Amino acid sequence: MPTTRLATSNDLPAWAIVVACILAAASLVLLVIEMRRRERGGIGILVTGVLALGALALAVMRPVRIAARESVVGARVVVLADTSRSMALASEGGRTRQKTRDEVVAALSKAAPDARVLELGFADGPPKPLANATGETARGLRSDLGSAIRALAAMPEERPSAVVVVSDGRLDEPQEDAPKPVLAELGNAIHAPIHTIATTRNELPDASVRRVANATAAVAHVPLPLRVDIGCSGGLACEKLTVTAKELREDGPPALLASGIADVKDGKASVDLTVTLDRAGVRILEVGIESPTGDAIPENDRRLITLNVARERVRVLHVAGQPTNDVRALRQWLKSDASVDVVAFFILRTPADTPGASQEDLALIPFPVDELFSVHLPSFDAVVLQDFDAQPYGLERHLPALARYVRAGGGLIMVGGPNSFVAGGYAGTPLGEVLPVSLDGAPGATAADTAPFVPAWTEPGRSAPVLGPLRAILGDELPSMPGANVLGDVRPGGVVLWTHPTRATKSGAPMPVLAIGDEGDGRSIALGIDGGWLFEFSELGARTAGRGHGALWDGLLGWLMRDPRFEPAQVDLPEGCIADVPPTLRIRTAGRAGKGETVVLDVTRLDKSGTAPVHVEKPLGEGDAPLEIALPALPTGGYSARLRLGSGPTTRRDFACEAGGDEWADSRPDPERLRALAAATGGTFAFADDVRAIRLPKPTVVSAERHVVPVAPPWTWTLLAATLLGAHWFMRRRGGLS
Amino acid sequence: MRRSYLVVVFMLTVVGLALLIPQPARAFGDAGGFDPRILLTGSQTNAARPSAPGRWSWELVQRTSAPARLRPSLVHASDATITDGPFLYWSGDAAVPALTSAEIAGLRRFFALGGVMLVDDAGVSNEGAPGAFGTSARREIARVLPDSAPITIGADHVVFRTFYLLRRAEGRIAGPKTLEAIVRGGSAQVIFSSHDLGGALARGPTGMWEQPVIPGGDVQRERAIRLAVNVAMYVLCSNYKDDQVHAPFLMRRRALSPHSEP
Repeated sequence: MPTTRLATSNDLPAWAIVVACILAAASLVLLVIEMRRRERGGIGILVTGVLALGALALAVMRPVRIAARESVVGARVVVLADTSRSMALASEGGRTRQKTRDEVVAALSKAAPDARVLELGFADGPPKPLANATGETARGLRSDLGSAIRALAAMPEERPSAVVVVSDGRLDEPQEDAPKPVLAELGNAIHAPIHTIATTRNELPDASVRRVANATAAVAHVPLPLRVDIGCSGGLACEKLTVTAKELREDGPPALLASGIADVKDGKASVDLTVTLDRAGVRILEVGIESPTGDAIPENDRRLITLNVARERVRVLHVAGQPTNDVRALRQWLKSDASVDVVAFFILRTPADTPGASQEDLALIPFPVDELFSVHLPSFDAVVLQDFDAQPYGLERHLPALARYVRAGGGLIMVGGPNSFVAGGYAGTPLGEVLPVSLDGAPGATAADTAPFVPAWTEPGRSAPVLGPLRAILGDELPSMPGANVLGDVRPGGVVLWTHPTRATKSGAPMPVLAIGDEGDGRSIALGIDGGWLFEFSELGARTAGRGHGALWDGLLGWLMRDPRFEPAQVDLPEGCIADVPPTLRIRTAGRAGKGETVVLDVTRLDKSGTAPVHVEKPLGEGDAPLEIALPALPTGGYSARLRLGSGPTTRRDFACEAGGDEWADSRPDPERLRALAAATGGTFAFADDVRAIRLPKPTVVSAERHVVPVAPPWTWTLLAATLLGAHWFMRRRGGLS
Repeated sequence: MRRSYLVVVFMLTVVGLALLIPQPARAFGDAGGFDPRILLTGSQTNAARPSAPGRWSWELVQRTSAPARLRPSLVHASDATITDGPFLYWSGDAAVPALTSAEIAGLRRFFALGGVMLVDDAGVSNEGAPGAFGTSARREIARVLPDSAPITIGADHVVFRTFYLLRRAEGRIAGPKTLEAIVRGGSAQVIFSSHDLGGALARGPTGMWEQPVIPGGDVQRERAIRLAVNVAMYVLCSNYKDDQVHAPFLMRRRALSPHSEP
């Protein structure tokens, strides 16, 4: 657009113009004062004086005419709209905060038609285009405004002239009550004022579990203190609320671990609970309160906490029916591993034995079967029953408890021998139901095959990580065994790793010798031989320095304890799981890509209620890139994802889907934080119904072409000033002034 | 008539139920049982007390739940099969010649796998002074395990409480109260007995004890057999009786025991 305007000479600094104007104004004031002493001709003196002063000023400024082609460029304004989950909560009028937010963003664009408005959404990490963010509704797991602004400042594009934040104010960063310098630092980072608009004014009547904090890492069998912060807002009547901590388990209803009473004062309360988790690995804890009457958001009355429970040491109960070379070898391996805490009970004397000595001369203590398998059983991570007959020692009455222990997450290994499996009376018992193989409970069933044999590898056995260390030492070679327990077909969920080379089950399949399987939350192993010691003491053992025995048991116990080294795959949820939002599972496999295997994924609810199981089958790709599987939206609850590669063993990952997570834990809006942020960064604050109060920057004028021409030559202004000064001097003298 | 009928029915029922119980296969487990393998070196053809290992196994099976081979095997130190089991019994009543390099290598492989050996001096004097075998065997073991030296192990060692609570070591002769052992990796891998333990165990085909036990007679023989059982249990269970759950119990029992030390 072509424009023409007047200006002062380019060679004058701004201060010179200011000085000239000041001197002219001062001279005019002196002239008015002097006018009181005049004798006559007042108007003439004044007119000539004003004209002379004006001419003098023009002589200094020497006006020029500027002809230009100019355009108006609107200021760059970045709107950062909160896309966290808290925006899905309600605000005034029953609308969601997200809807109010979207209306504000639209109103801002209308209020500043000249501005170049960039609409971004912020939640966790760098901001994203708002179009995408709104399309996915409010689903961010955090409200990290600080990271968004810093990412914005680091962008190579044009720096914004202003930033407008539209949020409910419940932010992760800057934190509540952040000091002014911290808030100002955000403005300094972007070199622009931060204006803020609060979507919400009022608090909803809501009681919630705001925070569950554990001061220390979760370790199995070690009491874990939890601090539970309770909030009550929006005028809801809360006085005493019962707080409970439960563990979600697959083998039954949630198990109550601890409870307490929250005495709510000034809308807040804290309760300290102590829970002890018996099983290591990923565990889901439900911490909840009783919903008070009138609670507008009952979804945040319980939190689902995912704890990765570690172990200080693996506690193993080793029970052996008789001392043998195999018992010796296993005991020495267990005792040699500093990370294993072994409690051992070996039957050294049966009622048929005649030691020929009084009890005082015997170093024997009673086998505390009742105490072990009732009181202390949950404290063990794994139970090894080696060549142990359940009947003579009263273990039969504890077999249901032992089966429950496995389903609740315990590990069980039954090792062969003349007193194991069928001969031990386990067929048809609850314990037999948690073994990975079936046992023949028919009268007169054959218990053992005493013919020497060399176990045969199965295809899953060759590829299973659990036997990876053993194969690394022995390859395909295995020592000859003096006999085997007769085992039945593998049960659903079990995987056979070794078979008998000649013997078959009733179904005609090769008889399992080593099988592993998942049962409920736990795992079990059936090893139908008592010749494990031959991995050490044999020609093969001597050739391999006996390392095969340790490698075998390292894998078996490690698999039982879900050691990641022995899992066929690693499963995680990179973005967590929010209820009713489709989650994505990421699967990493070690060295399995390109083998044409199929990933079979089953997702079930831990409490087995309501939601239908999810079953997905997907071919494993060629490359090593993680495989991502999108799941359908899941309701609130704990879930178990079981993954099987081909016909190999399964790997399991438990996870929880929360309705709102941290974002819903505290539903109160925080407009004061937004107000403080605006004040600290030179911006303005407004509520959503007063968007026009936000002072957005004016547009910038950009000249494309410019011509500067003096209005008159400089000497003209000097001559004019001299002439008018002379006329003024004449009028002063005539009027009686000096 | 009616009563005898009921008895017959009862007996048939008992027999029937007995037949229904799954039968364990003893041989399946015996392969992993205690085997007091006789170690031969040089031109040696048998143990100093050939019947002792068999009797040792028999006593173990009778007194404890441990399975054992009633016909123990013989193995030469240079034979590859020396590493086929975790225990060796080396006894003699005469000096042994210097071990060959093959014998040393075989024994080193055996010890490297964690094997345990009992060196039993059958030529010990009645006063317990080591005989020629004991002296020469110590010398040769020092060549096999040059980095280890024997130490004295007394009643506080787990060998003395693996099955029986024993206060001292005894064999055919009373000898010293203690044993000696080379301890490697926390375990006694070579146990030296200067008591002719095999002499107390040896029993002929007629059922007669082959050697008189002095000075304690049958009572001392019983204690010697108990020591042999304990050694076998140590081989099979290692330091099981040192476990935390056992230690306080056994210490209390030992303190309360009315038996005086022989």
